[in-house]
Amino acid sequence: MAEILVLMEHRQGEMQDINLEMLAKGQQLAEQTKKELTAVLLGKGVASMADEIKRYCHHTLVMEDDLLANFNSEPYQDVLSFLLKERKPSLVLMGHTAFGMDLAPPLATATETPLATDCYEIEVKGDTIIPYRQMYAGKMCAEVHFKEAPCHMITVRAGSFPAEGLKEINGAVEQVSFQFDKDYAYKKFLQYVEAAVGDVDITQADVLVAVGRGIGDPENLPMVEELAKLLGGVVACSRPVSDKNWLPKERQVGTSGKTVKPKLYIALGISGAFQHIAGMKNAATIIAVNKDAKAPIFSVAHYGIVDDLLKVVPGIVAKVRERKGA
Amino acid sequence: MDFLEKHELYACLQCGKCTGGCPVSLRAPLNIRSLMREVLMGGSPEVALDCPGLWDCTTCATCTLRCPRGLKPSEVIVGLRGELVEQGNVPKTVIDALEGTFKHGNPWGKPRQKRTEWKGDTAVKVLPEEGEAEWLYFIGCAASYDPRLQRIPRILCRVLETAGVSFGILGTKESCCGNEIRRMGETGLFEELREENTKNFKASGAKAIITMSPHCFNTFSTEYELEGFKVLHYTQLLADLIKEGKITFSKEVNKKVVYHDPCFLGKQHEVFDPPREILKAIPGLELLEFDRSRERSLCCEGGGGRMWAEGSGEGERNSEIRVKDAHAMGAEIIATACPFCLLTLEDGAKTTGLEEQVLVREVLELVAEAMGFDDV
Amino acid sequence: MDIIVCIKRVPEVAEIDLQVDQTGKGIQEEGLVFAVNDWDNYAVEEAVRMKEKHGGKVTAITVGSEESEDVVRRALALGADEAVVVTDPQAEGSDAYAIAKILAAAIKDIPYDIILTGALADDDGCAQVGATLAELLGIPHATLVTAIEIEEKQVKVKRELEGGLEEELVVATPALFTIQSGINEPRYVSIMGIRKVAKIEVATRDLGALGLSPDQVGSAGSFITVEKIFPPPAGEGAQILEGSPDEVATKMMDIFQKGGVV
Repeated sequence: MAEILVLMEHRQGEMQDINLEMLAKGQQLAEQTKKELTAVLLGKGVASMADEIKRYCHHTLVMEDDLLANFNSEPYQDVLSFLLKERKPSLVLMGHTAFGMDLAPPLATATETPLATDCYEIEVKGDTIIPYRQMYAGKMCAEVHFKEAPCHMITVRAGSFPAEGLKEINGAVEQVSFQFDKDYAYKKFLQYVEAAVGDVDITQADVLVAVGRGIGDPENLPMVEELAKLLGGVVACSRPVSDKNWLPKERQVGTSGKTVKPKLYIALGISGAFQHIAGMKNAATIIAVNKDAKAPIFSVAHYGIVDDLLKVVPGIVAKVRERKGA
Repeated sequence: MDFLEKHELYACLQCGKCTGGCPVSLRAPLNIRSLMREVLMGGSPEVALDCPGLWDCTTCATCTLRCPRGLKPSEVIVGLRGELVEQGNVPKTVIDALEGTFKHGNPWGKPRQKRTEWKGDTAVKVLPEEGEAEWLYFIGCAASYDPRLQRIPRILCRVLETAGVSFGILGTKESCCGNEIRRMGETGLFEELREENTKNFKASGAKAIITMSPHCFNTFSTEYELEGFKVLHYTQLLADLIKEGKITFSKEVNKKVVYHDPCFLGKQHEVFDPPREILKAIPGLELLEFDRSRERSLCCEGGGGRMWAEGSGEGERNSEIRVKDAHAMGAEIIATACPFCLLTLEDGAKTTGLEEQVLVREVLELVAEAMGFDDV
Repeated sequence: MDIIVCIKRVPEVAEIDLQVDQTGKGIQEEGLVFAVNDWDNYAVEEAVRMKEKHGGKVTAITVGSEESEDVVRRALALGADEAVVVTDPQAEGSDAYAIAKILAAAIKDIPYDIILTGALADDDGCAQVGATLAELLGIPHATLVTAIEIEEKQVKVKRELEGGLEEELVVATPALFTIQSGINEPRYVSIMGIRKVAKIEVATRDLGALGLSPDQVGSAGSFITVEKIFPPPAGEGAQILEGSPDEVATKMMDIFQKGGVV
């Protein structure tokens, strides 16, 4: 049909932020291609989520089943294959997330739907959908062409499309009529596992807030720890700080410490000695705060603030706290 | 020849002079005398491989220099590290340094293409492609890539040019000298680096090699087979050039400067005087001496792979002790002639909070000041 | 426990200024250093550890240029038992889907209990080959695996989700897992270690040997083709955020929100 299908993502009763991002872009694409926007929500006990989602779509397709209670690519793939065959959308969107990475490739393969993953932009040129993705660890962008097919699939990079300007469409919520004929014993979800408290492996963190000598005194650390916590990250440090035992050695970033590649690296009061930079230069986004405008850290940072971190950080913490409603 | 025979462990009389002189033994779980005995009694190096202090050793070679039987305890440690390397069981940071060297020719894994970025505007010949020269200046990985150090080869180029010395560099053909690589136990990689560098030395047309780092100087002099080549550390050449009147100092450097002898230049090669001669020739400079100077110089803990292995010792680092000692004696500057000493001593100045009172400078930086090279 | 590990030879691009090549569709490769894809390295290490614990054979396989032999040789030095290189000029331009088809054809004659691939590759970052391959082979899969525990007739795995959360699954073998970095600490592979395996023969296959026709691979057999590549819009060093601490804090919030961190 003339529709764009967007797969909603949820976990432990909460919708993922990427849903609204995809719906916002989906609405834009639907308008550009003169199609309808249809959301797909699979799960168990998701009625209230459906009510939220339906505001932004022409159709919201819901299926509830025990087998869908927690994400599992196998039953999800079967429902979606059915939907793709039934509804013949022109475009399918899902997040390039742990969810989408497990589901999109086999679904695309099984339904022979050309797939472009981890796209940060989607353009429409006439009748054609043109996805854009990054390559070489973000050093190059690529304009990608799809093989011709009645339907295409794109997994979307989180944070690419602002969840703004969403129009209220308020379409209907429809139940999907599909029956499972398998129990999927060959791939079963067991449980979620929370990150262990106390063992901190900074190499696994998505967000690192690192401190250097500029922190001045260990009694300034709690503020940094709060910032890290609010951003879902972990505190790291440069050598002088771990040398002084203000933070354990396992938090040290650098050639004689750990090499990290987080999504966000905030360097507070770190001058950016070569040995430190070597340990974090591949972070996707680097923000540096340092009193010294000539500090070498600014040559690798994407954003910089030339000021005393003790002046700047409290304000940032307050803003993030406010946003999170904490 | 098995491990025990190779390292003559049967000859060890357990006198303890090695551990007694070891600069890290007070802080690190490394007791070399004890390790020698463990391996001997255990019959194989296997028994000592889980010693947590194996990566603390700086290969300063004090133990080897003092052994009354002429044994080489520091080589025993290198040998044990070699066993770990072949097993693949080495600290992550060491893996990164070794793999970085294999792939990019330097332990920081920085691109080979950028190896000559230190040059800036400096005009210097790449040998043999851009001409001939008498001296080959081997920059070394640290000075090539570390922004704190990149100024120093520029200074040396200017000094040599001023003195009318005919010299050139290998450019991006230059690969890690391998001194630290061998000491981290990767003999295979060391051999490959040696082969490649030797080939490039021979093809360069130069007859003499001058190094900035005592580590490069050490391995070229003692571990490469470079017959027909003269190998000098830059302080040796500069001291001679001063004597010959080819370098003169026009500006005063009115500072109290204490010289720190790098292990790989001082105690290992007895090159104590040339750096001092250079400093003494600088007008206005007052040269002070540490109590632990020359052969007894306190290892800064930068060698033996320590730039890439954190070391498990707790407590005050030697670099901090050194900086505090310098401050206590009224020195304003610690001068040294080794890039690793420079970096570790500067770290020590930072962590002791003395970085504004005690500056750390490469001898060449003081030479530049005395020669009025403000724009280098 | 026979394991197949699919690995890829990729260029190292950290700190290199990449240039677009003449075709406008790729990067200039001259002077680039190539090595095994980082995630694949973790996969090889994991495979060898499983072999050391449970016995069996590890086969490393790669699809690429002839030089790709380097990466499977290194896998042999790390502890793999056999190595296969699939190389054919007609496979050039293959996207993840086409590569998965080639791997499926190469794997059909190799017995296995588990197939491992890296979660994604350093060059194109598609994160697609593994799960596609599993679908083509008709076996269950799990992506972004951070722990593998072999049980009687099944495997318990942990998958990395977002925000430090993980999930635990149980999967029946034969199965395919894509390996997330950090699952283990890969051992060092020494030069002498590589010299030691120099005599082991690496099997080479081309498309003909695998029974694949040119239209199944290359651009013709792919879901996508890269039409053009270009550097991201230039920044000049750090973009300095100016203003009062409050203004600066607001700008930081924007950055956090844009990055999906808040």
